[in-house]
Amino acid sequence: MPTVTIDDIKVEIEEGQTILDAARKAGIWIPTLCYHPSVAPKASCRLCMVELQRGDSSRLVTSCNYEVYSNITVKVSSEKAVNARKGVMELLLARAPESEELKTLAEKMRVTSTPYPSVTESQRNCILCGLCTSVCEEVIGKAAIGFAGRGVDKAVAPPFRQAAEDCIACGACVAVCPVGTIQMRYHEDTNEVEISPFKARAKLGTCAECGAPLVPVPVNEEVFKKGKIDTEELRIRAALCPECRRKRSAQTMYTAALSSRNP
Amino acid sequence: MKLSSPADLESYRRELEEQTDTSAKTVRVCIGTGCAAKGSRTLYKLFCEAAESADNVTVEAKCVGCHGFCERGPIVVIQPGNILYQRVEEPDVAEIFRETVIGGRIIERLLFKDPATEEVARTEDDIPFYNIQNRIALRLNGVIDPTDIDDYILHDGYSACAKALTEMEPDEIIAEIEKSGLRGRGGGGFPTGRKWRSCREASGEQKYVICNGDEGDPGAFMDRSVMEGNPHAVIEGMIIGAYAIGASQGYIYVRNEYPLAVEHLKTAIGQAQETGFLGEDILGTGFSFDIRINRGGGAFVCGESTALVASLEGLPGEPRAKYIHTVERGLHGMPTDLNNVETWVNIPAIIRKGGKWFSSIGTEGSKGTKVFSLVGNINNTGLVEVPMGITLRKIVEDIGGGIQNGRAFKAVQTGGPSGGCIPAGHLDAKVDFDELTELGSMMGSGGMIVMDEDTCMVNVAKYFLNFLQEESCGKCTPCREGIAQMVHILERISRGEGKEEDIGTLEKLAALLKDTALCALGATAANPVLSTLRYFREEYEAHIRDKRCPAKVCPGLFAYEIDPDTCKGCGVCLKNCPVDAISGESKKPHAIDQDLCTQCGTCFEKCPFDAVIKV
Repeated sequence: MPTVTIDDIKVEIEEGQTILDAARKAGIWIPTLCYHPSVAPKASCRLCMVELQRGDSSRLVTSCNYEVYSNITVKVSSEKAVNARKGVMELLLARAPESEELKTLAEKMRVTSTPYPSVTESQRNCILCGLCTSVCEEVIGKAAIGFAGRGVDKAVAPPFRQAAEDCIACGACVAVCPVGTIQMRYHEDTNEVEISPFKARAKLGTCAECGAPLVPVPVNEEVFKKGKIDTEELRIRAALCPECRRKRSAQTMYTAALSSRNP
Repeated sequence: MKLSSPADLESYRRELEEQTDTSAKTVRVCIGTGCAAKGSRTLYKLFCEAAESADNVTVEAKCVGCHGFCERGPIVVIQPGNILYQRVEEPDVAEIFRETVIGGRIIERLLFKDPATEEVARTEDDIPFYNIQNRIALRLNGVIDPTDIDDYILHDGYSACAKALTEMEPDEIIAEIEKSGLRGRGGGGFPTGRKWRSCREASGEQKYVICNGDEGDPGAFMDRSVMEGNPHAVIEGMIIGAYAIGASQGYIYVRNEYPLAVEHLKTAIGQAQETGFLGEDILGTGFSFDIRINRGGGAFVCGESTALVASLEGLPGEPRAKYIHTVERGLHGMPTDLNNVETWVNIPAIIRKGGKWFSSIGTEGSKGTKVFSLVGNINNTGLVEVPMGITLRKIVEDIGGGIQNGRAFKAVQTGGPSGGCIPAGHLDAKVDFDELTELGSMMGSGGMIVMDEDTCMVNVAKYFLNFLQEESCGKCTPCREGIAQMVHILERISRGEGKEEDIGTLEKLAALLKDTALCALGATAANPVLSTLRYFREEYEAHIRDKRCPAKVCPGLFAYEIDPDTCKGCGVCLKNCPVDAISGESKKPHAIDQDLCTQCGTCFEKCPFDAVIKV
């Protein structure tokens, strides 16, 4: 097992684990934006840079995807590493100046403002980290959104920038978005949710008993497609709100108890 | 016909030699893209027709690849005598055929005349542009018909492949390449032999070799000319590399804007398969290898190795963060060796003549020759192959024939968009990987843009940064956002709205890009700014502090005036001025109202007496 010496703390990690894994094990915080444990690292935001020492020289590497196979020494709080992360954060703040989430993260890194004006905005408040596209493709298996364009014109978008037919409005992209740019909106008039800014909409299910709103209909359908769980009982229960489901469970138990008492 | 052994190849070559009519006269017409754009394909057809109708003599009209002297195209070379005619046009064909081919007489007006010395040259060897060169990669460019494998075989083609596959062990081949000191010609300059060894030693059931023909630097066309003019040499190099590494599949990644290169490579691959140099059991050695062509989609970044591999896999052409090298995990996660076109064509020569011979050319750290595309404000533009270690001065002044229109030299930009500008004070620097890097530029793939005194260096930096902004894939923050910020600052400076702290901010962004960008495109993107700041800082300062463009290029930072002593009062400027800013009576000096002038430059261009001056 290789040892990572990280800001003078030594930790042992499994071969192939990353510097970020080592830092978390050592209790050292490294800011991340495009990293998420459930998807493959892209190392695109460049916020998790640390200084890797090699003899007398050193270089900056991204901790999220640097796999460790031998003993290494890493500095997280060296001037070089801190300045690099600060520089990247300043550029991000110029790109997405309205994101409260980004400002909070910046403050945690002791970056309070950016010297740069906003010169790029292919998509409002989006830092193009790609977590939403990765989670949609790798975890949900839908790829309803992807990158369109390139360079400063790059943007996350559904195919042809039309509401994607493949989107099931599960909200995974909303959940992983580190800067709060992707939102789920509820339209009361039509009982629909919309994944903003991707325009996709889906009807919410309603409880078969009381009419309370449930998860989006396509999400329910998607659940039945996964594995061999499409049973009559599951379908009945999926059409109920948690409250009515609890009542149904109680009713079932009560009936069962009665029948066991009076065989 | 399939050749099944090296002996087969040798006897076939002898057969071809015997069939060659040594008394035949040949007319070699360049059909490289440069000459073809000026109508050389029609010339070729006309020469073919003329050759067919010739009585009593055998005349062969032959299409050949780029000679390199593109500025003087279309180029036609006549054998015997090696007579070089330049800027040949359709009406010249009949005369050339009658006088030179049949009559053996020279047509003076079609010969090359040195613009500086007025000396007339009859053959390539009489022209400094050619005779200073040392051609290894371009040896057969302009000599052989790129669509004819027999012509390649006649010129020792595939003999290196036969030697490598039958007389050498893979380790011996790699040792020979290591001994040659060959370094990657695509820009990185990584030792080729070491790369091959790592790839050979990497474990993986399938290995790949890739030829990077995604040349995209503005003004660079070295690889295009090689692929168009000598495609079999690329293939031969790849066969040798594949055998040494243990790969069974190769890919040539060519940018889609090179249709002629794709066409010639396709033809060459087909011929190599038919002749038994590609496919199963090559030359009866049991070694199998094949090549496929992939056309790029026009993204500059796809010349970066990991982006190229992603593109080959059918993914968007974006670089991957790599701490594991392509030689270990490349295409489809398998060990992959990727070399540039020019690197591959050097391989057969090294195998034929030995690594020691190759390493005898060049400098301590940079061996062999390098092809440059010499362009810009220079008299002789074109493709030149020079030994490493030659000085920039020799390239610019002797081969390039100096600056056009008697202007003064200002800088030479090397290394493509991520390279740097080298000023006159360093013209005696040697062309060498390390020396160019030390000067703040780089070897790159071989673009060389010469600039004269009328070039604004802030404008140059802005041009390259704009190019890189357009071509950034947008994946990583520093490259996408950092270049945009730099472009924003440079645009402000060139509008005369620069701030005192701008230079500092540019330097800070440059350092950030170098340290944090994901791929080499981003990491080197600031080089145009850094090198111009290093050598031409005062120009930036003049723009920022004095609101003045010393080269008089940036609109608004200089003024047009009419010199009253030169002005004849002809009224041409007055009539052409779109905003009526010029006034004056006929035959008396005119004047420009600076408040109305929009600096469109029309008067400057139209004045027949050069009386409009920039101040």
